[in-house]
Amino acid sequence: MTAPPLNKGPHDVGGEAADAVDTLDHGMAFWEKQANGLRSVLSARRITRTDELRRAAEDLGDRYSQLAYFERTTMALRTVLLEKGLITEVELKAKMDEIRARFNVPDEMESPLIQAAQK
Amino acid sequence: MSAATSTLPSTYTPAPGHRYKVGDAVVIKRAFPPGHRRTPYYIRGKQGVIERICGSFPNPEELAYGFDGEPKKILYRVRFAQNHVWPGYAGPAHDIIEMEIFEHWLLPAGNAAAKG
Amino acid sequence: MTDTKFDYYAQKKHAHDHGDHDHAADAHAAIEEPREGPPSEFEIMSRAMQELLEAKGVITAEQVRARMEQFEEDLPYRGSRVVARAWVDPDFKQRLLADGKAACTEFGIDLEADRLIAVENTPEVHNVIVCTLCSCYPRSLLGMPPTWYKSRNYRSRVVFEPRAVLREFGTVLPDNVTVRVHDSNADMRYVVIPMRPAGTEGWDEEKLAELLTRDTLVGVTTPGVAR
Repeated sequence: MTAPPLNKGPHDVGGEAADAVDTLDHGMAFWEKQANGLRSVLSARRITRTDELRRAAEDLGDRYSQLAYFERTTMALRTVLLEKGLITEVELKAKMDEIRARFNVPDEMESPLIQAAQK
Repeated sequence: MSAATSTLPSTYTPAPGHRYKVGDAVVIKRAFPPGHRRTPYYIRGKQGVIERICGSFPNPEELAYGFDGEPKKILYRVRFAQNHVWPGYAGPAHDIIEMEIFEHWLLPAGNAAAKG
Repeated sequence: MTDTKFDYYAQKKHAHDHGDHDHAADAHAAIEEPREGPPSEFEIMSRAMQELLEAKGVITAEQVRARMEQFEEDLPYRGSRVVARAWVDPDFKQRLLADGKAACTEFGIDLEADRLIAVENTPEVHNVIVCTLCSCYPRSLLGMPPTWYKSRNYRSRVVFEPRAVLREFGTVLPDNVTVRVHDSNADMRYVVIPMRPAGTEGWDEEKLAELLTRDTLVGVTTPGVAR
């Protein structure tokens, strides 16, 4: 085996061996539709550019292929918004903490997560 | 390639000063620079024919880093024989693959600089 | 998955309380929010970014909502209408082939930033579309791409073994047909004009459009009529 191809990004997969195609469409989760809507608005308003988001996704390296499509587009959007100074890491962390708190299960005994952990 | 050569003259945006014309034989630069590139790895160094001129578009290699993509670059569609692109291609010799390539990734076919 | 928690039961109660809700009167109710598990870190991050951008006045929630509705209700149904017209109107087909974006304006369809190349299947040529570098797709004409279009398996393989991939979709092409693969890698977007199947003589555009599924417009299947 020779050295890995020079500067070949994780996204550049044309020609690589791979398994059979799952020809079913598995649709999109609600949050993915929302993330797509967000990305689409930002793109239409030229706040972010598609090529910037692609580049940020490609820069994920090995994580690129480990993440699902909207997981990596979300990571890419985070990178580009930070680069542009539209949000800061501190703001993002605080807002994520707030949202996590908002999703709390009120009755811990009934929490599916806790039930799963107890099995 | 005769089966699919009913080439349309479309330019979708103006392409002032375009260096190549439909039917010209071109080689894709065999280069491996870092950064955001829209020329797939598998096509670098391969020879094809200009299928149509798409026009001029902001340079994605600049847009990708937050710049305006000016000056615009001429974009072409290039047609390749599958059995040239993929040694050992399993299908018939007339199968083809086409994609968009920006002018700065193209060289006239026969240019020694393209040979790797 | 991390230790994120989610209020399943409040959500269910909310759905129940609104079970007899008149959705037609509520412009915001077009897209339901089904929920099968707690939000992932990515979902939380995506929501957080949206809320921050809203708070800063960069975008509004309504803009995102409107886009979501457009993706749900409008965009996926455009392509089949356009191509059905091409089947019944040869002059329109020529305009579509010459400049897809301009032809779509005849339907009042604005492809926004997308430039469209329509490619026509014939008895000699079968076209199939892929984007190996990401998932470029004519979203303004077909909506969001299906899962397989975004999958590594499709993106990797259809360029070098298109006939094998097409067989996985149930599409078997004889060797005398040229397979023409389009790697949609830059500023153009693509739609396939399939061959109109025999047995559809006299059909109106609406009925023809039903044959033109998303998969036929990407070129992984061909439309057929059950006999």
